[in-house]
Amino acid sequence: MKTVFKNGRILDPSQDLDVVGHVVVEDAQIVACGPDVDISDATSEYDCTGLWITPGLVDMHVHLREPGEDYRETIKTGTRAAAAGGFTTICCLPNTTPPLDTPALIDFILDKSAAPDAGGVFVAPVGALTTVKDGQTRMANLASLKSAGIVAASDEGVPVQDANLMLHAMEYCRQMDLPIMAHCEDLSLSANGQINDGAISALLGLAGMPRTAEEVMVMRNCLLSLQTGCRVHILRVSSWGSVELIRQAKYLGAPVTAEVCPHHFCLTENDLGEFDTNFKTTPPLRTELDVDMVLQGLSDGTIDAIASDHSPYAAHEVRVPFDEAPFGCVGLESALGVTLTFVTHKGVLSPYETVRRLSTAPSQILGLDAGTLRPETTALAQVTVIDPEVDWTFDVKKTFSRGKNSPFDGMKLKGKAVLTYCGTEIYRDALWDSSRDNAAL
Amino acid sequence: MNRNLLAMRHLDVDDIQYLLAMAQMHKDNVEAGDYPAPPSVRRSVGLLFFENSTRTRVSFEKACHYLGYQPVNFSGDGSSMSKGETLRDTIFTLKHERLDALVMRHRSSGAANLAAEYFGGPTVNAGDGQHEHPTQALSDALTVLSRKGQIEGLNVAIVGDILHSRVARSDAWIFSKLGAHVRFVGPNTLLPSVMSGLPGSVHYDLKEGLDGADVVICLRLQRERMRGPHLSSSREYTKLYQVNRAALRVANPEAIVMHPGPMNRGVELDDATADGPQCAVLEQVTNGIFVRMAALQWALGDDRGDA
Repeated sequence: MKTVFKNGRILDPSQDLDVVGHVVVEDAQIVACGPDVDISDATSEYDCTGLWITPGLVDMHVHLREPGEDYRETIKTGTRAAAAGGFTTICCLPNTTPPLDTPALIDFILDKSAAPDAGGVFVAPVGALTTVKDGQTRMANLASLKSAGIVAASDEGVPVQDANLMLHAMEYCRQMDLPIMAHCEDLSLSANGQINDGAISALLGLAGMPRTAEEVMVMRNCLLSLQTGCRVHILRVSSWGSVELIRQAKYLGAPVTAEVCPHHFCLTENDLGEFDTNFKTTPPLRTELDVDMVLQGLSDGTIDAIASDHSPYAAHEVRVPFDEAPFGCVGLESALGVTLTFVTHKGVLSPYETVRRLSTAPSQILGLDAGTLRPETTALAQVTVIDPEVDWTFDVKKTFSRGKNSPFDGMKLKGKAVLTYCGTEIYRDALWDSSRDNAAL
Repeated sequence: MNRNLLAMRHLDVDDIQYLLAMAQMHKDNVEAGDYPAPPSVRRSVGLLFFENSTRTRVSFEKACHYLGYQPVNFSGDGSSMSKGETLRDTIFTLKHERLDALVMRHRSSGAANLAAEYFGGPTVNAGDGQHEHPTQALSDALTVLSRKGQIEGLNVAIVGDILHSRVARSDAWIFSKLGAHVRFVGPNTLLPSVMSGLPGSVHYDLKEGLDGADVVICLRLQRERMRGPHLSSSREYTKLYQVNRAALRVANPEAIVMHPGPMNRGVELDDATADGPQCAVLEQVTNGIFVRMAALQWALGDDRGDA
């Protein structure tokens, strides 16, 4: 079996490639990549003329909701949504019911995501940083979790408030070289808050979450990272102050990385309309200034990665008064289109740098077996074919995810993953033109 | 035509003036002894109160009575919502009980918008969280009109817990839309951190805020909504922000003092002011009936008496 992705624009920051050429896959592994490779004897061909061939995209921030919350999403539906969004590797965050704080639960995730009816993407679990024992929050058994296969530990959903606990967690993770994905939120400042503390919260009479609720913890975690040498990845940066603090921390040599979510680089508090709960996120949608500074952070590399923070909820949880609605929105199937539309096509990032933020960088930050087209590097060939110019409308009703809570529903986008390949073809979009296939060579 | 009355923020000046004119007409008729004149017009109005209310509920009932509508009462405690039903299902149920209009009070900002969406018929917001309380604003405007003869050009000071007050927001919108100069007066801890979206100037100092004021609207400290250290002490708050004779010395000598109720005497205003001739609190209550008549008629598209 020799499959060829033919004549596309290869964008692979892991090997400094931005060139028109071919990617050759044999026995589910990449064997050649570049402009001058032998593509004779192919058993099947994908003609990628005019399209991008990129390493399979990596989403380092996904909530798959299993175990315990399968009415919101399952590993099966979530991984299928990932494939449809162009992702071949995703990380699932640990705030499930129960949280991912034991090796048995890590095994459960790995088993279920490898099941034949799942989406065919790799799921790299993130373990719980802390656990509650005897009513007290303490470090989880991180060494055991690491042996079970976690790629990072995170306080997502239960942000560590006690600085001393975070200090020791970082010291411990440092010795294992295990990154911490940090949910930066001072709960005393954000308590009861519904949206950004600003002009719109004043207008709507909703309690505000000040930007400092995020920034205070970004600063604390950056300083603790600098002190301990622990690798810290800042989850979903939303405020201009956080961007500036991370920039400074990197300048000082802290091993800090950061991600941004699509909704934080193209939506603001003004988009909430009349209490639309699909726009309720944490951290909240902020202001034009924040969006501008977040984009600048993406452009200059302060923000390393783009991640969806895919947070599916059931319809009955979202169709409630605003202050009763949960925080978060789905994102796997809109992330790439929104990024291409609002970042790449606007000239904030080149196509090459876009692929870095969506694949190479998240892969490198977490040491994943993904994010490259370099021959014989990853266990399975992970390839995404993107049509950067195709116009389409995001229709949340047509998504694979069980969650339909999206602020992007009905949005016109430009650019989409049309084919996703992870050892085998795992997703083919309706926009893929079948005349590009040549299976009968 | 069916309409919703959800927020003063969205109402245009023509609608506000129409509502106030209708309310004035009802007031004149009632005071002339012309009510209850109309025969029942077979409209039932659901009064759905998820938060406690005395004056608002009673005045809606009274408004229904004068108009010949049938009020149907629901309360949060006794309803199926206390058994775990969602607001959406409660509203759908009421819709299928064939109610013609819905009046709702709810503790969540924006709940009235949801109710209107799910009810699909005329919906009147009787207070949603810290967002708006449009019929209170109409009542306050009618009170100022009857005492002052006009609203345009007046200085209206709204004093106290602005942050947690839906009345402050609705009042600010109605008075500014009708051409008054609105001032928000209160401690920095009880004002939204960004005031640029709300129509009015901001004053931390009571004297400055009351200087030349024609209308002073006092607000209650909404302790039940406060989460966190908003106040040093009641005593210090009272010292700085109580509306009393001394504080009113800088206001227009003819200034009127209002309060949406319930009042905390001795805190936001003193006895002498509450019981003095400047105080229009009880007129606000009575006017509440007439503006709610106008609001219900307007929402239901019932054009009886329309000039």
